[in-house]
Amino acid sequence: MAMPLAGVRVVDLTMVWAGPFGTRMLGDYGAEVIKVEAPRQWDLLRSLGLIPRSEHHWYNRSAYFNHNNRDKYAFALDLSGELGRRTLLKLCSLSDVLVENFRSDVMDNLGLGYEAVHEANPQLIYVSMPGHGKTGPEKDYVAYGSNVEQLSGIVSLSGYDNDEPMKTGFSYGDPMAGTALVGAVATALRQRARTGEGMYLELAQRENLMMFAGEHIVDYSMNGITRPPIGNRHAVCAPHNRYPSAGEDRWVTIACETEEQFQALCKAIGQPDLAADPRFATNTARKANEDALDAIIGRWTAARGHYEAMHILQRAGVPAGAVLTIPELMSDPHLRSRGAWTPHTHPDAGTWEMEAPPWKLSRTPVHIRMPAPGFGQHNGYVLRELLQLPESEIAELYTAGVVADSPDETLHQ
Amino acid sequence: MSQPLEGLRVLEIGTFVSAPYCGKLFTGYGAEVVKVEPPEGDISRAHGPFKDGIPNPETSSLFLYLNTGKKSVTLDLASPGGRERFLQLVESADVLIENYRPKDLRALGLDYATLSAVNPQLVMISVTTFGQDGPYADYESNNLIAFAMGGQMFITGTQDGGPLKNGGYQADYQGGLNAFSAGMLAVLAAERDGAGQHVDVSIQQCMAPLLEAGIPYYSYLGRWGGQRRGNHMASFIGIYPCADGHLGVHLMPRNWKPFCDVIGRPDLATDPRFATQAARTQHNDELMAEFYAWAATEEKRPIYERAGAGRAPIAFVHTMEDLITSPHLLERGSIQRITHPVAGEAAYPGPPWWMGSAAWSPGPAPLLGQHNAEILGSLSR
Repeated sequence: MAMPLAGVRVVDLTMVWAGPFGTRMLGDYGAEVIKVEAPRQWDLLRSLGLIPRSEHHWYNRSAYFNHNNRDKYAFALDLSGELGRRTLLKLCSLSDVLVENFRSDVMDNLGLGYEAVHEANPQLIYVSMPGHGKTGPEKDYVAYGSNVEQLSGIVSLSGYDNDEPMKTGFSYGDPMAGTALVGAVATALRQRARTGEGMYLELAQRENLMMFAGEHIVDYSMNGITRPPIGNRHAVCAPHNRYPSAGEDRWVTIACETEEQFQALCKAIGQPDLAADPRFATNTARKANEDALDAIIGRWTAARGHYEAMHILQRAGVPAGAVLTIPELMSDPHLRSRGAWTPHTHPDAGTWEMEAPPWKLSRTPVHIRMPAPGFGQHNGYVLRELLQLPESEIAELYTAGVVADSPDETLHQ
Repeated sequence: MSQPLEGLRVLEIGTFVSAPYCGKLFTGYGAEVVKVEPPEGDISRAHGPFKDGIPNPETSSLFLYLNTGKKSVTLDLASPGGRERFLQLVESADVLIENYRPKDLRALGLDYATLSAVNPQLVMISVTTFGQDGPYADYESNNLIAFAMGGQMFITGTQDGGPLKNGGYQADYQGGLNAFSAGMLAVLAAERDGAGQHVDVSIQQCMAPLLEAGIPYYSYLGRWGGQRRGNHMASFIGIYPCADGHLGVHLMPRNWKPFCDVIGRPDLATDPRFATQAARTQHNDELMAEFYAWAATEEKRPIYERAGAGRAPIAFVHTMEDLITSPHLLERGSIQRITHPVAGEAAYPGPPWWMGSAAWSPGPAPLLGQHNAEILGSLSR
């Protein structure tokens, strides 16, 4: 069966993580994604692969880049002059979607704002993914990954019990914007199928992530109370925490939401009487005596490995999960069984494992079709097969340095 | 202009956060979402925080937020009559969203094989921590378990403090967003092919690859540091307390000069200890001390606005109060007031993305069983 996005062509002007991760997912699920980099300005992730600069095609070997750009074609085009601009507009006239995540004024300055592209192709879905959005008093403020989550409210909700706000462990807003991009583009494609018209779609990263704080916003606006972070605990349910496990820096989480689960926990840790102990007999009592309860549970967990505790408790019907490290994620029997990691071969980078497309669609399954493109790898495909430019015009683009098959490495130390 | 998901009929038997957030996105962009609740209501009605702190199934902020614009009907799916009426709803639905443990749904006789026999065009979106198959598929789970098993917990917090969950229900929200995007792909395919399918979303599997460069570096290079870095990736990427809150600094090499200008410290810009990103990394502790001392003298909104004008990446940690009073968000209309018949008026964030001003139209969350007569009354029998 045809993949969900078969026949959809995407012009991808995005760089770094949020945009490229999102367009990679479009590619994973069947779109033809053409990644445009400039000969003098490649995607920064090519530089962040920790590959020695002395190695051949080192910029094609960045795993950080290759995980986020598989299932795409690469076209090396400089957009800053009229030749490049005209070439991009021609590509847009043959495409369904354009995605960009430049600073809010860049596309307009390049003469590639929505009006210009819409004129070239009225059916095109034009997607911008700025940090703050294209309007509003803060639209031109600089905001990188860690700033987006601060602006979304998530950081103020996070932290150890009653302690200072805590950043997430990664640039949370980036992959969430990328994930949302797929739903946003699919929604726009449905709209276009009904109206026959393209549109402008704006996905401001801080707004997308702010949605994940929604109930706290509603609460504050109704009640006017700022509630401090509560660490790993839960406002209503107890026990709900992470507990020490055998080994260095190993932990297991346990979170009971029902009386049955708590009774099963007491039995599983060999203390069935706890369930009737007045300190713990009801959820209200357990919340009031949570420190004492956590200490009792922690003594049991500390005597065994985190996976072992998880399996014992799960077999008894208790929600429990090991706090997995990156090596453990990659060897986890469940993720392995689901095919979450898959062997992958790239002509410059060799063979290793990367994440499979995450969602399983029973009737229209997908798999990784292409490794991430080397720099400018598909220039010929785009210029000749898609744009069908005469050889004289192609030569002109190369001579002017608007298209190049190799990057200017000196600019990317 | 009509809303993009107009005409789509969605059923939701989702509880708590993940499936309801997916359903919220469907209804926000124009689908009709019928939420089938058990007679006692979605568990999120019992969680709060409630308006004025008084427990009431109609004023739980968690329920109010996650169920904007939906219709509510009550059915006991474990009873023969309830199940039969539900199957009648399935016959005319385009999409079903659910987050049951696979074995619990099988026990109700509502697995995909059964439902697709009733309606072959149905897109069934299942979102659970572990997905539909694999050794943990029928394990018990919730947001905390998913956050741990998805790998985000280990890397969050300080080394000494131990792994930390992010605030709220972050694993569940990730599941809901993934379910919407995956589900919309299946909707496109169904409208193209005239055939539905089962969409299997595992929250753990969605989360695990997203640890910045962690998986690529480990898988390709065998590199893994294993350290939690708290609020500081480095002195120049971190959170610092200020006079009335917390500032977030995130400096790439090109931001160093504008940053020093904005904070009025040209001496730092010319100090050889801090001249390059490598030098700043080498003198991390000295720079951090400078930043702590500087930040303590600043108030969050004035320095944020000065930094914005000077193109220096300094944000501040927005509290809920900061969000609902943000001049930027208010001008953009991304905090909207919605009036609920029992809970009254409150501020709700949305839309998550803009497709013209009329594309997103959330109404208030439904009262428990509010649409029983309208939806169930039209069924045959």
